Amino acid sequence: MTLNSRILIGLAVAAAFGAGGARAADVAAGQAKAKEVCAACHGIDGNSPSPDFPKLAGQHGDYLAKALRDYKAGTRKNAIMAGFAGALSAKDIDNLAAYYSAQPSVLAAKY
Amino acid sequence: MIKFRVLVPALAAALAAGTALAQGASAGDPTKGSQKVQMCQGCHGIEGWRTAFPEVYRVPKIAGQHQAYLVKALQAYKSGERTHPSMRAIAASLADNDMADVAAYYGQPGLKAAVK
Repeated sequence: MTLNSRILIGLAVAAAFGAGGARAADVAAGQAKAKEVCAACHGIDGNSPSPDFPKLAGQHGDYLAKALRDYKAGTRKNAIMAGFAGALSAKDIDNLAAYYSAQPSVLAAKY
Repeated sequence: MIKFRVLVPALAAALAAGTALAQGASAGDPTKGSQKVQMCQGCHGIEGWRTAFPEVYRVPKIAGQHQAYLVKALQAYKSGERTHPSMRAIAASLADNDMADVAAYYGQPGLKAAVK
């Protein structure tokens, strides 16, 4: 193995880990944040008991993250959610979306 | 007394009718709703379907969601409070009773089948 190929492999491994680390959401951190911020209305497992608050459990994570980003940016307007989403970091949003999308769901795509 | 005998049932009937009407308006009819969801199915009826514009993400699963929330979401699209272009256009075409019926259809418990 030449020095060049070792460097190349090293770079490839570092890139793979770096990319994975940057994107992987932390489900446990999401659960902790959910308990703190979301659970009172949406339920700790996301199956909210109140008809006024949408069920989040098993919803697509990318949709949940988009909703939170839109609330935070003010492009989706809701007085309650603006306050909560505004206090979340981008990482919090990814973690919460990963946590709620992984919970057992009654939601489905329905034809 | 005769007047009362007539009046009381008449009032009771009127009240019951009023209540039924109010409930009908808010509860929606899932059977009627099933006739009004053709325009929903092309996206929400396909597992994992993604929007193409203005941002790419999977469209939300709506079957099994709370009816009241579904109505609120449609109203928010119609009023412009929520901004997705396709949903604004679709919600604008729905009257209040249409929204209630569609929400009653999708809010039924136990709907699971999807086109893969």
